[in-house]
Amino acid sequence: MTTKEQPAAVLWQRMGPLLGLATLIIGLSFASPYFLTVENLLNVLRQSSINAILALGQLMVIITAGIDLSIGSVLGVTNVMLAILLVSGWHPLAACAAALGTGLGIGLLNGVLLTRLRLPHPFISTLGTMNVGRGAALLLAGGVPISGLSMGFRSATGGNAFGAPMPVVIAAVAYLAAHLFLTRTIWGRDLYAIGGNREAARLAGIPVERRLNLAYALSGFAGALGAIVLAGRMNSGFPLAGSGAELDAIAAAIIGGASFFGGVGTVGGTLIGALIIGFLRNGLNLLDVSAYWQMVVIGCVIVGAVFVDVLRQRGTRTV
Amino acid sequence: MTITLSTTTRGAAVLAMAALLVTGCNRGADNGKKTIALVPKAMDSEFWLAVRKGAQKAVEGRDDVTLSVLAPDREINVDQQVSILEDQIQRGARALVVAPAGSAQVVPVLQNAIGRGIPVVLVDADAPLPGKSSYAGTDNRAGGSLAAKHVIERVGTGKIALISGVPGNQSQDDRAAGFLETIKTAPGLQVAAQQPANSERSLGLTVMENILTAHPDIKAVFATNDQMALGAVEAIQSRKPQAGIIVVGFDATGEAVQAIIDGRMSASVAQRPFEMGRRSVEAALALIDGRTVEPRIDTGTELVTAANAASYKK
Repeated sequence: MTTKEQPAAVLWQRMGPLLGLATLIIGLSFASPYFLTVENLLNVLRQSSINAILALGQLMVIITAGIDLSIGSVLGVTNVMLAILLVSGWHPLAACAAALGTGLGIGLLNGVLLTRLRLPHPFISTLGTMNVGRGAALLLAGGVPISGLSMGFRSATGGNAFGAPMPVVIAAVAYLAAHLFLTRTIWGRDLYAIGGNREAARLAGIPVERRLNLAYALSGFAGALGAIVLAGRMNSGFPLAGSGAELDAIAAAIIGGASFFGGVGTVGGTLIGALIIGFLRNGLNLLDVSAYWQMVVIGCVIVGAVFVDVLRQRGTRTV
Repeated sequence: MTITLSTTTRGAAVLAMAALLVTGCNRGADNGKKTIALVPKAMDSEFWLAVRKGAQKAVEGRDDVTLSVLAPDREINVDQQVSILEDQIQRGARALVVAPAGSAQVVPVLQNAIGRGIPVVLVDADAPLPGKSSYAGTDNRAGGSLAAKHVIERVGTGKIALISGVPGNQSQDDRAAGFLETIKTAPGLQVAAQQPANSERSLGLTVMENILTAHPDIKAVFATNDQMALGAVEAIQSRKPQAGIIVVGFDATGEAVQAIIDGRMSASVAQRPFEMGRRSVEAALALIDGRTVEPRIDTGTELVTAANAASYKK
């Protein structure tokens, strides 16, 4: 490859998903008369917000060449916990803080299992906490949904407050914070270095284990943040919440250009990935496409995006 | 070089998907017709297919009405059902016919629909929804009780087991409650195990294997749907085919009816999903036309046993 081509390559890498999203939006505008309305676009943003938040957590660990299968279960267990605390009369802020703390804690546990117990791959440690978390959610809830949250809490997290859809506002704040964290702080840059070449990062003096712990803790935090929005949106905590959500979150990060091989991935790309999934589902609903076909289409998009990731990796290795 | 090519491919892959979507599925415009949206819990079993058939029957000959049927991938994807409902409201559906996948969780979005003047008819599963126009479904408690009476009649004394659906799912919970209530009237019967299997066949199999291990002397099992009952049948056939354990299911699906004819299952409580689809959508049509509907439409239950199974065979 010549140096002249490189900027174009980088540009394409950034623009590919964005172009896909733009095409999707333009196509849907022609295909359905109900699509291009302010209300529908707000609906998509609302519907995408939880997956987008989870995808941020997933991005943190995917950048380090890891994965977090437990994020859906973290959402489930903190969702139930939050509902129990709220129904038993805790102040909403205290309940949210407890849920976020728990998410952070489970994430940290994922990190410690990986870095201290030296389990061979995060797939295994997070597969473990995924099951423990789901079981804990069912145990905590006694198997049934806990509903009847206060109107104040619901509008502040899942509904509209000050005229703005709060799930979207919360997701936007999280995205801004994550972007600043990854691009403007030493910790964030360390994550890229670790994912790019762990041994080199260690030799360069980066405290690899502590940074990995941080990445998994942040992923757990994102799970709990998703749980808060979900509780507000659905007026309840339910133990099966977020079953399979880890997969959509991974898909969003990957479609958005993050690489399973580590070291690559941006907050902006992840947002686009989450929106592509959200717009696809919304558009397919508006067009009356059955759930069977929806699964086929979304599956194809995921496989297509990951396949391209593989191609790119193969390319960089041969260069 | 390779990098330029592959990243271009990434863009192209997404583009191709979008193109496929737009060209292949362009049937969103409703040509001025009124849309009735049917949103089942999933579309993964004969039961829901029969509901859809009944719904299609109801709109036959109504050229001014379009029936749109969309469902989540799986019954546990409650948040996906909420998204579908939001999208159906958005596209201007004139009436919603909904089987709530979680009674508490879908209430807010349905309240929103009612607030906009879109009538909501619940089907199969009821929910505490103020302002709903009607609920068309089985009396699940009565159905569970019917299953219990059959077990009491066939077993008399001994240990029995209960396999229930996704916890918190109202209709499954009602079946279990109705069953337990009636079983209590038989002092000789003891409910030794009570486990959820999320309405799935594979889980029904595993749960039944565990029950057989923990309670080798179990005499009968009631599963709150046929998928789980058929899973339990598999477990019993491979572990204790000679024990004569009685399996009672719920729904009387084609497979369950065949199992009853073959003697592998003892009975199943028949719901009438076709009637649910037909009568709920008829109610929605009436509401669109400005007529009133009954607040509760009972679609009935009947016990299917070896004696009458042949007549249920499709």
